[in-house]
Amino acid sequence: MSRVKVTIDGQPFEIELTLLPGQNGRLKAVVNGELVEVIVPEVQGREPIEWIMVGNRPYELSFDANLRWLRAYDGLHALEIQDLEAVVTRPVSKDGRVKAPIPGLITRVMVSEGQEVVAGQPLLVLEAMKMENEILAPRSGVVQSLNATPGRGVNLGEVLVEIV
Amino acid sequence: MFKKVLVANRGVIAVRVVRALRDMGIWSVALYEAGDRGSLHVRLADECYELTSPLGYMDGAEILDIARRVGADAIHPGYGFLAERADFIRACEEAGIVFIGPPSEVVAGLSSKIGALERAQRAGLAVAEHSSQAFRPEDFDLLEAEAEALGFPLIIKACAGGRGRATRVVRSPKGLKKAVEQAHAEAKIVFGDDRLFLERAILPCRFIDVQLLGDRYGNLVHLGERDGSLQRYNQKLLAEAPAPNLTAEQRSQVLGMALDIARLFNFQGVGTIEFLMDREGQFYFSEIKPRIQVEHPVTEMVTRVDLVKEQIELAAGKRLTLRQEDVRVEGWAMQCRINAEDPWNNFLPSPGVLRRFRLPGGPNVRVDTYGYSGCEVPVRYDPILAKVAVWGQDRSECLNRLRRALQDFAITGLQTNLPLYQRILDEPEFIRGEYTTQLIWGSWKTRPAQSPPELLRDLAVAAAIAYVMRHRAVRPTVPERFQSGWHRSPRW
Repeated sequence: MSRVKVTIDGQPFEIELTLLPGQNGRLKAVVNGELVEVIVPEVQGREPIEWIMVGNRPYELSFDANLRWLRAYDGLHALEIQDLEAVVTRPVSKDGRVKAPIPGLITRVMVSEGQEVVAGQPLLVLEAMKMENEILAPRSGVVQSLNATPGRGVNLGEVLVEIV
Repeated sequence: MFKKVLVANRGVIAVRVVRALRDMGIWSVALYEAGDRGSLHVRLADECYELTSPLGYMDGAEILDIARRVGADAIHPGYGFLAERADFIRACEEAGIVFIGPPSEVVAGLSSKIGALERAQRAGLAVAEHSSQAFRPEDFDLLEAEAEALGFPLIIKACAGGRGRATRVVRSPKGLKKAVEQAHAEAKIVFGDDRLFLERAILPCRFIDVQLLGDRYGNLVHLGERDGSLQRYNQKLLAEAPAPNLTAEQRSQVLGMALDIARLFNFQGVGTIEFLMDREGQFYFSEIKPRIQVEHPVTEMVTRVDLVKEQIELAAGKRLTLRQEDVRVEGWAMQCRINAEDPWNNFLPSPGVLRRFRLPGGPNVRVDTYGYSGCEVPVRYDPILAKVAVWGQDRSECLNRLRRALQDFAITGLQTNLPLYQRILDEPEFIRGEYTTQLIWGSWKTRPAQSPPELLRDLAVAAAIAYVMRHRAVRPTVPERFQSGWHRSPRW
């Protein structure tokens, strides 16, 4: 049995479900106390599911790698997932590390170590795909470490700034 | 007609051109940079060559050399890269290889944006107020004085510009210096020429393009107009034809102006004249694009004219057989540019490998793309991955079909701006066809989606299952470097 809290577009749902091999993709989930019947593909490994039937409604889905959003036929939905079984929950949004979202070249750095920043403030400019991309602060705080200088090439996922 | 044509481009437009050549029975030659060898335009071509120069698709000398070596009759430049380089076109002319585009002297005449505006103005055509001088980085004082004289808001443009690059809208004197510095830098990188000029901004405005075809014997027709007002940083995101809510007088006025301008500049081949339209319905000549444009499929859908085929035939010296009275604009077409970028994360580029890539289908749906499942979407080129174009008998059928086609388009592996269109298409201004360039900045982005509660509930179940599956599949492992000690990483 797993218990998960999913907040989708700001609306919270508490979900209980059991996933076992050999269910032939059929399972029952309890959502906010209500029982729903679900059919999903029998997927092996870590690939997220591509479709689901809830009751008699089919959906095609795609998730981003960090399960921060999902796309259904009507567009994007923001997700926040909390594992109610886990001892320590660490919502993704508290992470103050800014990683390079794309490989590229740093062209400008607008902050320095120890500086106070507010969420959404431009930290640096990363040039990639012929575009200058402003990298913004994911949260407010103080720049604890800065691993960026103009002219430096960076790899995907490299931590550039940490805000605490 | 040509026997062998070299395609000096990549991505969506190169695929379009290679297909046109094969439709016409012309041998197609593709080029690729080392990282691009699995790209679709290469796979579909009859013959292919690697570019070894670090300049890649921008290296006119190497490309011309390959064309000569393989015996190509002509070079198709697509858009971007070498499409509007007068020096490259001249080199082709001297080598006796046809450049599928305008002659070098026409491009040279257009490459001075200020010159083109003033020539049109002298001929009695309305243009936006602009600086008569070009500015280098050291001329900031002069530029500032000129900006005061023109008044704000104004637009900074690159003299060598195009494709919206190095273009900045400045709303007050405060932001001028920073915007000018950025524009100089971007112009230098993109065009190799950092000169800028200023134009009085027309806000709010609509972008109306007129599609033209002309042969070298002076025959010229228009194929109606397109509306490209939905833009982000001056790159058109969505285009539709015809332009909504134009009166018959406005339409005939803008089409007539386009023909006048084309004759004035001795325009030949396939191209577009761009106009700005202000709140009062006045048109101002903005630019001539003497090449095929990203938005050409919407015109193809409403006129049933294959523009790339026409372009190749006109370049081969064929006489234009299409007469103005034969041109019929039927129904309505719309096209969205699907970019590999994340609209909910400051539009950051989102390169990667396409895992699932299932195109929308059904009648009157067309997708131009270089993508396929397993295809790599690289970082170093323009982010345009696909164009979804649809046709309907009228605007409302067209809009419904576009909504459906976007819902059908399944892309995983990277983020695209596709969901952005899903929001914009439901905006009342867009549905009424009463939108301007301001629509992109509207409140649609932050407003929560109006999803029914049972839909959110069902999707929440899906997310919970995805989460549980992922964690079930994770086997606890200890990275090798931590095996010797008591390390704990709280973050990975």
